[in-house]
Amino acid sequence: MFEHLGEKLILHVTIGSFSLRFDLVAIIMSWVVIALLVVLALWLRRGLRQEIEEKPNRIQAMVDALIDLLKGQLTSNFASERLARELFSFISTLFLFVLLCNWISVIPYFQSPTQDLNVTFSLALLVFVMSQVFAFRMKGGRRYFKGFIEPYPFMLPLNIVGEIAKPVSHAFRLFGNIFGGAILLAVVSGELIPVVVPAALNAFFGLFIGAIQAFVFAMLAVAYINVAVES
Amino acid sequence: MNLEWGKVVKSLNWTFIFNLVNFAILLYLLKRLLFKPALAYLDRRRELIASRMESARADEEKAAKLAAERTEVLKKAYEQSRQIVEKAHAQAEETIVAAKSEAKQDAERILDDARMQIEQERVQMKQELRRAYAEISVLGASRVLKREVKLKDHRRLLDELLAEIDEEALRIKQ
Amino acid sequence: MLQDAQNVVSGISGADIATAAKYLAAGFVMAIGSIGSAIGEGLVAAHALDGIARQPEMEGALMRTMVVGQAITESTGIYSLVVAIILLFVV
Repeated sequence: MFEHLGEKLILHVTIGSFSLRFDLVAIIMSWVVIALLVVLALWLRRGLRQEIEEKPNRIQAMVDALIDLLKGQLTSNFASERLARELFSFISTLFLFVLLCNWISVIPYFQSPTQDLNVTFSLALLVFVMSQVFAFRMKGGRRYFKGFIEPYPFMLPLNIVGEIAKPVSHAFRLFGNIFGGAILLAVVSGELIPVVVPAALNAFFGLFIGAIQAFVFAMLAVAYINVAVES
Repeated sequence: MNLEWGKVVKSLNWTFIFNLVNFAILLYLLKRLLFKPALAYLDRRRELIASRMESARADEEKAAKLAAERTEVLKKAYEQSRQIVEKAHAQAEETIVAAKSEAKQDAERILDDARMQIEQERVQMKQELRRAYAEISVLGASRVLKREVKLKDHRRLLDELLAEIDEEALRIKQ
Repeated sequence: MLQDAQNVVSGISGADIATAAKYLAAGFVMAIGSIGSAIGEGLVAAHALDGIARQPEMEGALMRTMVVGQAITESTGIYSLVVAIILLFVV
Protein backbone atom coordinates (compact mmCIF):
# COMPACT_ATOMS: atom_id res chain seq x y z
CA MET A 1 0.00 0.00 0.00
CA PHE A 2 2.56 2.56 1.07
CA GLU A 3 5.57 1.16 -0.74
CA HIS A 4 6.37 4.47 -2.39
CA LEU A 5 5.77 6.59 0.70
CA GLY A 6 9.43 6.67 1.67
CA GLU A 7 10.70 6.79 -1.88
CA LYS A 8 10.99 9.37 -4.57
CA LEU A 9 11.51 9.50 -8.31
CA ILE A 10 15.11 10.03 -9.25
CA LEU A 11 16.23 11.11 -12.68
CA HIS A 12 19.48 9.43 -13.56
CA VAL A 13 21.48 11.32 -16.16
CA THR A 14 24.73 9.99 -17.50
CA ILE A 15 26.99 12.42 -19.30
CA GLY A 16 30.12 10.63 -20.42
CA SER A 17 31.58 9.12 -17.30
CA PHE A 18 29.59 11.45 -15.01
CA SER A 19 26.49 10.04 -13.43
CA LEU A 20 24.17 12.73 -12.09
CA ARG A 21 21.04 12.05 -10.05
CA PHE A 22 18.22 14.56 -9.71
CA ASP A 23 15.02 14.50 -7.71
CA LEU A 24 12.64 15.09 -10.56
CA VAL A 25 9.54 16.14 -8.62
CA ALA A 26 11.37 18.51 -6.29
CA ILE A 27 13.11 20.25 -9.17
CA ILE A 28 9.94 20.65 -11.21
CA MET A 29 8.03 21.88 -8.18
CA SER A 30 10.72 24.38 -7.27
CA TRP A 31 10.58 25.66 -10.83
CA VAL A 32 6.85 26.10 -10.45
CA VAL A 33 7.39 27.99 -7.21
CA ILE A 34 10.03 30.22 -8.77
CA ALA A 35 7.77 30.92 -11.73
CA LEU A 36 4.93 31.83 -9.36
CA LEU A 37 7.15 34.16 -7.37
CA VAL A 38 8.47 35.86 -10.49
CA VAL A 39 4.94 36.32 -11.80
CA LEU A 40 3.95 37.75 -8.43
CA ALA A 41 6.93 40.10 -8.49
CA LEU A 42 6.13 41.25 -12.02
CA TRP A 43 2.50 41.82 -11.09
CA LEU A 44 3.46 43.83 -8.02
CA ARG A 45 6.01 45.80 -10.02
CA ARG A 46 3.38 46.88 -12.52
CA GLY A 47 1.55 48.63 -9.72
CA LEU A 48 4.72 50.33 -8.58
CA ARG A 49 5.37 51.82 -12.00
CA GLN A 50 2.63 54.40 -11.56
CA GLU A 51 3.45 57.75 -10.08
CA ILE A 52 2.73 58.27 -6.45
CA GLU A 53 -0.67 59.79 -5.99
CA GLU A 54 -2.62 61.09 -3.07
CA LYS A 55 -3.73 57.62 -2.13
CA PRO A 56 -1.65 54.49 -2.88
CA ASN A 57 -3.46 52.11 -5.23
CA ARG A 58 -4.29 48.58 -4.19
CA ILE A 59 -1.05 47.00 -5.38
CA GLN A 60 1.03 49.73 -3.79
CA ALA A 61 -0.77 49.20 -0.50
CA MET A 62 -0.14 45.47 -0.82
CA VAL A 63 3.57 45.98 -1.47
CA ASP A 64 3.66 48.34 1.46
CA ALA A 65 2.05 45.74 3.72
CA LEU A 66 4.32 42.95 2.44
CA ILE A 67 7.53 44.91 2.90
CA ASP A 68 6.31 46.10 6.28
CA LEU A 69 5.63 42.52 7.33
CA LEU A 70 9.02 41.25 6.14
CA LYS A 71 10.84 44.14 7.75
CA GLY A 72 8.88 44.19 11.00
CA GLN A 73 8.77 40.45 11.65
CA LEU A 74 12.06 39.24 10.20
CA THR A 75 14.86 41.68 9.51
CA SER A 76 14.04 43.97 12.42
CA ASN A 77 15.50 41.23 14.61
CA PHE A 78 18.98 41.77 13.22
CA ALA A 79 21.50 43.21 15.64
CA SER A 80 22.49 46.12 13.45
CA GLU A 81 20.68 48.31 10.96
CA ARG A 82 23.39 47.69 8.37
CA LEU A 83 22.97 43.92 8.56
CA ALA A 84 19.20 44.30 8.24
CA ARG A 85 19.56 46.43 5.13
CA GLU A 86 22.15 44.18 3.50
CA LEU A 87 20.34 40.93 4.15
CA PHE A 88 16.78 42.11 3.61
CA SER A 89 16.51 40.66 0.10
CA PHE A 90 18.12 37.38 1.11
CA ILE A 91 15.93 36.76 4.14
CA SER A 92 12.80 37.91 2.31
CA THR A 93 13.50 35.67 -0.66
CA LEU A 94 14.21 32.78 1.67
CA PHE A 95 10.93 33.32 3.47
CA LEU A 96 8.83 33.75 0.34
CA PHE A 97 10.45 30.74 -1.37
CA VAL A 98 9.98 28.42 1.59
CA LEU A 99 6.46 29.73 2.20
CA LEU A 100 5.36 29.07 -1.36
CA CYS A 101 7.16 25.70 -1.39
CA ASN A 102 5.16 24.70 1.68
CA TRP A 103 1.90 26.09 0.41
CA ILE A 104 2.04 24.55 -3.04
CA SER A 105 1.22 21.09 -1.66
CA VAL A 106 -2.33 22.36 -1.09
CA ILE A 107 -2.91 22.04 -4.82
CA PRO A 108 -3.80 18.42 -5.68
CA TYR A 109 -1.00 16.38 -7.31
CA PHE A 110 1.54 19.04 -6.31
CA GLN A 111 4.29 18.23 -3.88
CA SER A 112 6.24 20.57 -1.64
CA PRO A 113 9.84 20.85 -2.81
CA THR A 114 10.66 21.29 0.86
CA GLN A 115 9.72 17.69 1.55
CA ASP A 116 12.91 16.82 -0.29
CA LEU A 117 15.95 16.78 1.97
CA ASN A 118 18.22 18.12 -0.78
CA VAL A 119 16.25 21.34 -1.03
CA THR A 120 16.10 22.06 2.69
CA PHE A 121 19.74 21.09 3.13
CA SER A 122 20.90 23.38 0.36
CA LEU A 123 18.98 26.29 1.89
CA ALA A 124 20.23 25.56 5.40
CA LEU A 125 23.80 25.23 4.20
CA LEU A 126 23.46 28.48 2.30
CA VAL A 127 22.37 30.18 5.52
CA PHE A 128 25.26 28.55 7.35
CA VAL A 129 27.81 29.72 4.79
CA MET A 130 26.22 33.14 4.83
CA SER A 131 26.47 33.38 8.61
CA GLN A 132 30.15 32.29 8.59
CA VAL A 133 31.00 34.71 5.80
CA PHE A 134 29.32 37.60 7.58
CA ALA A 135 30.93 36.65 10.89
CA PHE A 136 34.34 36.57 9.18
CA ARG A 137 33.73 39.88 7.47
CA MET A 138 32.37 41.69 10.47
CA LYS A 139 34.67 40.35 13.15
CA GLY A 140 37.86 40.01 11.17
CA GLY A 141 39.95 36.83 10.83
CA ARG A 142 41.55 36.82 14.25
CA ARG A 143 38.43 37.38 16.25
CA TYR A 144 36.54 34.93 14.03
CA PHE A 145 38.91 32.06 14.72
CA LYS A 146 39.29 33.06 18.35
CA GLY A 147 35.54 32.60 18.70
CA PHE A 148 36.04 28.84 18.22
CA ILE A 149 38.46 28.40 21.15
CA GLU A 150 36.36 30.29 23.62
CA PRO A 151 35.97 29.96 26.55
CA TYR A 152 38.76 27.30 26.58
CA PRO A 153 40.90 25.87 23.75
CA PHE A 154 39.80 22.31 24.47
CA MET A 155 36.23 23.36 23.63
CA LEU A 156 37.21 23.63 19.95
CA PRO A 157 35.63 20.33 18.81
CA LEU A 158 32.51 21.09 20.79
CA ASN A 159 32.20 24.52 19.20
CA ILE A 160 32.70 23.08 15.72
CA VAL A 161 30.11 20.38 16.33
CA GLY A 162 27.76 23.02 17.69
CA GLU A 163 28.19 25.12 14.56
CA ILE A 164 27.62 22.14 12.27
CA ALA A 165 24.57 21.03 14.24
CA LYS A 166 22.87 24.29 13.38
CA PRO A 167 22.40 23.75 9.63
CA VAL A 168 21.64 20.07 10.21
CA SER A 169 18.83 20.82 12.64
CA HIS A 170 17.75 23.74 10.47
CA ALA A 171 17.39 21.50 7.44
CA PHE A 172 15.86 18.53 9.26
CA ARG A 173 13.30 20.71 11.04
CA LEU A 174 11.78 21.96 7.81
CA PHE A 175 12.09 18.62 6.07
CA GLY A 176 10.65 16.69 9.02
CA ASN A 177 7.66 18.96 9.43
CA ILE A 178 6.69 19.06 5.79
CA PHE A 179 7.49 15.42 5.06
CA GLY A 180 5.73 14.26 8.23
CA GLY A 181 2.66 16.24 7.24
CA ALA A 182 2.77 14.79 3.73
CA ILE A 183 3.07 11.22 5.05
CA LEU A 184 0.24 11.73 7.51
CA LEU A 185 -1.88 13.15 4.73
CA ALA A 186 -1.04 10.29 2.38
CA VAL A 187 -1.86 7.67 5.03
CA VAL A 188 -5.14 9.32 6.09
CA SER A 189 -6.40 9.99 2.59
CA GLY A 190 -5.14 6.71 1.15
CA GLU A 191 -6.28 4.29 3.81
CA LEU A 192 -8.20 5.66 6.78
CA ILE A 193 -10.73 8.37 5.91
CA PRO A 194 -10.64 9.41 2.27
CA VAL A 195 -13.27 12.17 2.55
CA VAL A 196 -13.50 15.58 4.25
CA VAL A 197 -10.75 14.92 6.80
CA PRO A 198 -7.88 15.01 4.26
CA ALA A 199 -9.08 18.46 3.14
CA ALA A 200 -8.96 19.81 6.69
CA LEU A 201 -5.61 18.12 7.31
CA ASN A 202 -4.30 19.53 4.04
CA ALA A 203 -5.34 23.02 5.06
CA PHE A 204 -3.76 22.56 8.48
CA PHE A 205 -0.47 21.04 7.36
CA GLY A 206 -0.21 22.88 4.08
CA LEU A 207 -1.26 26.37 5.10
CA PHE A 208 -0.86 26.70 8.86
CA ILE A 209 2.18 24.53 9.56
CA GLY A 210 3.65 25.61 6.23
CA ALA A 211 3.40 29.29 7.14
CA ILE A 212 4.76 28.75 10.64
CA GLN A 213 7.65 26.65 9.41
CA ALA A 214 8.53 29.16 6.70
CA PHE A 215 8.51 31.92 9.31
CA VAL A 216 10.58 29.81 11.68
CA PHE A 217 13.04 28.94 8.94
CA ALA A 218 13.63 32.58 8.02
CA MET A 219 13.62 33.62 11.66
CA LEU A 220 16.23 31.00 12.55
CA ALA A 221 18.34 32.13 9.60
CA VAL A 222 18.22 35.63 11.10
CA ALA A 223 19.05 34.27 14.55
CA TYR A 224 21.98 32.13 13.29
CA ILE A 225 23.51 35.02 11.37
CA ASN A 226 22.96 37.27 14.36
CA VAL A 227 24.64 34.87 16.78
CA ALA A 228 27.55 34.23 14.42
CA VAL A 229 28.14 37.93 13.92
CA GLU A 230 27.70 38.95 17.53
CA SER A 231 29.40 36.38 19.75
CA MET B 1 18.87 8.95 -18.82
CA ASN B 2 16.38 6.91 -16.90
CA LEU B 3 13.93 7.16 -14.00
CA GLU B 4 14.20 5.06 -10.87
CA TRP B 5 12.86 5.01 -7.32
CA GLY B 6 15.18 6.13 -4.52
CA LYS B 7 14.99 6.43 -0.75
CA VAL B 8 13.81 9.73 0.67
CA VAL B 9 16.35 10.21 3.43
CA LYS B 10 19.33 8.45 1.95
CA SER B 11 19.77 10.20 -1.34
CA LEU B 12 21.63 13.46 -1.18
CA ASN B 13 22.35 14.22 -4.82
CA TRP B 14 22.74 16.90 -7.43
CA THR B 15 19.39 18.39 -6.56
CA PHE B 16 21.36 20.10 -3.85
CA ILE B 17 23.51 22.06 -6.27
CA PHE B 18 20.60 22.55 -8.60
CA ASN B 19 18.51 24.08 -5.85
CA LEU B 20 21.33 26.41 -4.84
CA VAL B 21 21.51 27.68 -8.40
CA ASN B 22 17.74 27.99 -8.52
CA PHE B 23 17.72 29.94 -5.31
CA ALA B 24 20.49 32.25 -6.48
CA ILE B 25 18.54 33.01 -9.67
CA LEU B 26 15.36 33.57 -7.68
CA LEU B 27 17.22 35.86 -5.28
CA TYR B 28 18.57 37.89 -8.18
CA LEU B 29 15.19 38.10 -9.91
CA LEU B 30 13.25 39.04 -6.81
CA LYS B 31 15.82 41.61 -5.81
CA ARG B 32 15.77 43.10 -9.27
CA LEU B 33 12.03 42.90 -9.86
CA LEU B 34 10.47 43.32 -6.46
CA PHE B 35 12.60 44.42 -3.56
CA LYS B 36 14.61 47.19 -5.17
CA PRO B 37 11.62 48.96 -6.78
CA ALA B 38 9.50 48.34 -3.70
CA LEU B 39 12.08 49.80 -1.32
CA ALA B 40 12.68 52.73 -3.66
CA TYR B 41 8.95 53.27 -3.89
CA LEU B 42 8.58 53.15 -0.13
CA ASP B 43 11.44 55.61 0.28
CA ARG B 44 9.85 57.96 -2.23
CA ARG B 45 6.53 57.68 -0.51
CA ARG B 46 8.09 58.29 2.91
CA GLU B 47 9.76 61.40 1.54
CA LEU B 48 6.49 62.55 0.02
CA ILE B 49 4.68 62.03 3.29
CA ALA B 50 7.43 63.82 5.19
CA SER B 51 7.25 66.79 2.84
CA ARG B 52 3.46 66.81 3.10
CA MET B 53 3.74 66.75 6.85
CA GLU B 54 6.23 69.57 6.74
CA SER B 55 4.00 71.72 4.56
CA ALA B 56 1.00 70.87 6.69
CA ARG B 57 2.90 71.91 9.78
CA ALA B 58 3.93 75.17 8.10
CA ASP B 59 0.31 75.79 7.10
CA GLU B 60 -0.80 75.11 10.61
CA GLU B 61 1.75 77.52 12.00
CA LYS B 62 0.63 80.15 9.54
CA ALA B 63 -2.98 79.60 10.46
CA ALA B 64 -2.15 79.85 14.14
CA LYS B 65 -0.29 83.08 13.51
CA LEU B 66 -3.20 84.46 11.51
CA ALA B 67 -5.62 83.49 14.22
CA ALA B 68 -3.47 85.18 16.83
CA GLU B 69 -3.32 88.29 14.71
CA ARG B 70 -7.04 88.28 14.24
CA THR B 71 -7.75 87.94 17.91
CA GLU B 72 -5.29 90.74 18.55
CA VAL B 73 -7.11 92.99 16.08
CA LEU B 74 -10.46 92.00 17.49
CA LYS B 75 -9.27 92.78 20.98
CA LYS B 76 -8.02 96.16 19.88
CA ALA B 77 -11.27 96.94 18.09
CA TYR B 78 -13.27 95.90 21.10
CA GLU B 79 -11.14 98.05 23.34
CA GLN B 80 -11.62 100.99 21.01
CA SER B 81 -15.35 100.55 20.81
CA ARG B 82 -15.53 100.31 24.58
CA GLN B 83 -13.60 103.53 24.88
CA ILE B 84 -15.89 105.22 22.40
CA VAL B 85 -18.99 104.09 24.23
CA GLU B 86 -17.55 105.20 27.54
CA LYS B 87 -16.70 108.57 26.11
CA ALA B 88 -20.20 108.94 24.73
CA HIS B 89 -21.63 107.95 28.08
CA ALA B 90 -19.52 110.52 29.85
CA GLN B 91 -20.48 113.18 27.34
CA ALA B 92 -24.15 112.41 27.67
CA GLU B 93 -23.85 112.54 31.45
CA GLU B 94 -22.13 115.89 31.24
CA THR B 95 -24.71 117.26 28.88
CA ILE B 96 -27.50 116.13 31.09
CA VAL B 97 -25.93 117.65 34.16
CA ALA B 98 -25.29 120.89 32.33
CA ALA B 99 -28.81 121.02 30.96
CA LYS B 100 -30.26 120.30 34.36
CA SER B 101 -28.29 123.04 36.05
CA GLU B 102 -29.13 125.48 33.27
CA ALA B 103 -32.78 124.67 33.54
CA LYS B 104 -32.64 125.16 37.27
CA GLN B 105 -30.95 128.49 36.85
CA ASP B 106 -33.48 129.53 34.24
CA ALA B 107 -36.34 128.57 36.44
CA GLU B 108 -34.90 130.48 39.36
CA ARG B 109 -34.37 133.50 37.21
CA ILE B 110 -37.88 133.36 35.90
CA LEU B 111 -39.18 132.99 39.43
CA ASP B 112 -37.09 135.92 40.60
CA ASP B 113 -38.31 138.02 37.69
CA ALA B 114 -41.86 137.16 38.48
CA ARG B 115 -41.39 138.02 42.14
CA MET B 116 -39.72 141.26 41.30
CA GLN B 117 -42.54 142.14 38.89
CA ILE B 118 -45.10 141.37 41.54
CA GLU B 119 -43.26 143.53 44.02
CA GLN B 120 -43.08 146.36 41.54
CA GLU B 121 -46.71 146.05 40.71
CA ARG B 122 -47.61 146.09 44.35
CA VAL B 123 -45.52 149.19 44.97
CA GLN B 124 -47.10 150.84 41.97
CA MET B 125 -50.49 149.87 43.14
CA LYS B 126 -49.83 151.25 46.59
CA GLN B 127 -48.71 154.48 45.04
CA GLU B 128 -51.78 154.58 42.86
CA LEU B 129 -53.89 153.83 45.88
CA ARG B 130 -52.27 156.65 47.78
CA ARG B 131 -52.88 158.95 44.90
CA ALA B 132 -56.44 157.76 44.74
CA TYR B 133 -56.83 158.40 48.49
CA ALA B 134 -55.54 161.87 48.00
CA GLU B 135 -57.83 162.50 45.08
CA ILE B 136 -60.75 161.03 46.90
CA SER B 137 -59.89 163.10 49.95
CA VAL B 138 -59.58 166.19 47.83
CA LEU B 139 -62.77 165.37 46.05
CA GLY B 140 -64.48 164.72 49.29
CA ALA B 141 -63.19 168.00 50.73
CA SER B 142 -64.26 169.95 47.71
CA ARG B 143 -67.68 168.46 47.91
CA VAL B 144 -67.77 169.33 51.52
CA LEU B 145 -66.65 172.79 50.85
CA LYS B 146 -68.79 173.50 47.86
CA ARG B 147 -72.05 172.42 49.37
CA GLU B 148 -73.66 173.29 52.53
CA VAL B 149 -74.39 169.97 53.94
CA LYS B 150 -75.54 169.04 57.36
CA LEU B 151 -73.59 167.07 59.70
CA LYS B 152 -75.86 164.33 59.00
CA ASP B 153 -75.03 164.64 55.31
CA HIS B 154 -71.37 164.98 56.10
CA ARG B 155 -71.57 162.02 58.15
CA ARG B 156 -73.21 160.15 55.30
CA LEU B 157 -70.69 161.41 52.77
CA LEU B 158 -67.85 160.53 54.98
CA ASP B 159 -69.28 157.16 55.60
CA GLU B 160 -69.67 156.67 51.93
CA LEU B 161 -66.12 157.73 51.33
CA LEU B 162 -64.80 155.54 53.96
CA ALA B 163 -66.78 152.69 52.67
CA GLU B 164 -65.43 153.38 49.25
CA ILE B 165 -61.88 153.48 50.52
CA ASP B 166 -62.40 150.37 52.51
CA GLU B 167 -63.85 148.66 49.56
CA GLU B 168 -60.96 149.78 47.46
CA ALA B 169 -58.48 148.77 50.12
CA LEU B 170 -60.11 145.42 50.45
CA ARG B 171 -60.02 144.90 46.77
CA ILE B 172 -56.36 145.81 46.66
CA LYS B 173 -55.53 143.62 49.60
CA GLN B 174 -57.15 140.68 48.08
CA MET C 1 -1.36 -29.14 16.39
CA LEU C 2 2.18 -29.28 17.52
CA GLN C 3 3.12 -29.71 13.93
CA ASP C 4 1.18 -26.57 13.06
CA ALA C 5 2.97 -24.58 15.73
CA GLN C 6 6.30 -25.87 14.52
CA ASN C 7 5.41 -24.91 10.99
CA VAL C 8 4.52 -21.41 12.11
CA VAL C 9 7.73 -21.01 14.09
CA SER C 10 9.90 -22.41 11.38
CA GLY C 11 8.14 -20.10 8.87
CA ILE C 12 9.54 -17.06 10.65
CA SER C 13 12.76 -16.04 9.05
CA GLY C 14 15.40 -13.60 10.28
CA ALA C 15 14.15 -11.01 7.84
CA ASP C 16 10.70 -11.21 9.37
CA ILE C 17 12.10 -10.58 12.82
CA ALA C 18 14.11 -7.66 11.49
CA THR C 19 11.01 -6.17 9.90
CA ALA C 20 9.05 -6.58 13.12
CA ALA C 21 11.87 -4.99 15.09
CA LYS C 22 11.98 -2.12 12.59
CA TYR C 23 8.32 -1.28 12.97
CA LEU C 24 8.45 -1.70 16.74
CA ALA C 25 11.51 0.53 16.96
CA ALA C 26 9.93 3.21 14.74
CA GLY C 27 6.85 3.23 16.96
CA PHE C 28 8.92 3.48 20.11
CA VAL C 29 11.09 6.21 18.67
CA MET C 30 8.09 8.36 17.91
CA ALA C 31 6.34 7.54 21.17
CA ILE C 32 9.27 8.21 23.47
CA GLY C 33 11.03 10.82 21.37
CA SER C 34 8.03 13.09 21.13
CA ILE C 35 7.47 13.14 24.91
CA GLY C 36 10.37 15.47 25.55
CA SER C 37 9.62 17.92 22.80
CA ALA C 38 5.93 17.92 23.67
CA ILE C 39 6.63 18.77 27.30
CA GLY C 40 9.16 21.36 26.24
CA GLU C 41 6.79 23.06 23.82
CA GLY C 42 4.07 23.03 26.43
CA LEU C 43 6.37 24.74 28.90
CA VAL C 44 7.32 27.36 26.33
CA ALA C 45 3.66 28.05 25.54
CA ALA C 46 2.75 28.15 29.25
CA HIS C 47 5.43 30.69 30.07
CA ALA C 48 4.62 32.75 27.01
CA LEU C 49 0.99 32.77 28.16
CA ASP C 50 2.16 33.83 31.63
CA GLY C 51 4.06 36.67 30.07
CA ILE C 52 1.14 37.74 27.90
CA ALA C 53 -1.20 37.66 30.90
CA ARG C 54 1.20 39.85 32.83
CA GLN C 55 1.96 42.23 29.97
CA PRO C 56 -0.67 42.02 27.23
CA GLU C 57 0.98 44.85 25.29
CA MET C 58 4.03 42.59 24.70
CA GLU C 59 1.92 39.95 22.96
CA GLY C 60 3.45 40.39 19.49
CA ALA C 61 7.07 40.02 20.59
CA LEU C 62 6.23 37.18 22.98
CA MET C 63 4.33 35.28 20.30
CA ARG C 64 7.23 35.60 17.88
CA THR C 65 9.78 34.47 20.42
CA MET C 66 7.48 31.66 21.52
CA VAL C 67 7.10 30.32 17.99
CA VAL C 68 10.85 30.35 17.41
CA GLY C 69 11.49 28.81 20.82
CA GLN C 70 9.00 26.08 20.12
CA ALA C 71 10.58 25.44 16.74
CA ILE C 72 13.94 24.93 18.41
CA THR C 73 12.40 22.76 21.09
CA GLU C 74 10.73 20.76 18.38
CA SER C 75 14.17 19.79 17.01
CA THR C 76 14.39 16.72 19.22
CA GLY C 77 10.95 15.60 18.15
CA ILE C 78 11.90 16.12 14.52
CA TYR C 79 15.12 14.13 15.04
CA SER C 80 13.09 11.23 16.36
CA LEU C 81 10.73 11.58 13.39
CA VAL C 82 13.68 11.43 11.02
CA VAL C 83 15.04 8.39 12.80
CA ALA C 84 11.62 6.76 12.58
CA ILE C 85 11.46 7.52 8.88
CA ILE C 86 14.93 6.08 8.41
CA LEU C 87 13.90 2.96 10.32
CA LEU C 88 10.73 2.55 8.31
CA PHE C 89 11.86 3.38 4.83
CA VAL C 90 15.63 3.12 4.63
CA VAL C 91 16.86 0.36 6.92
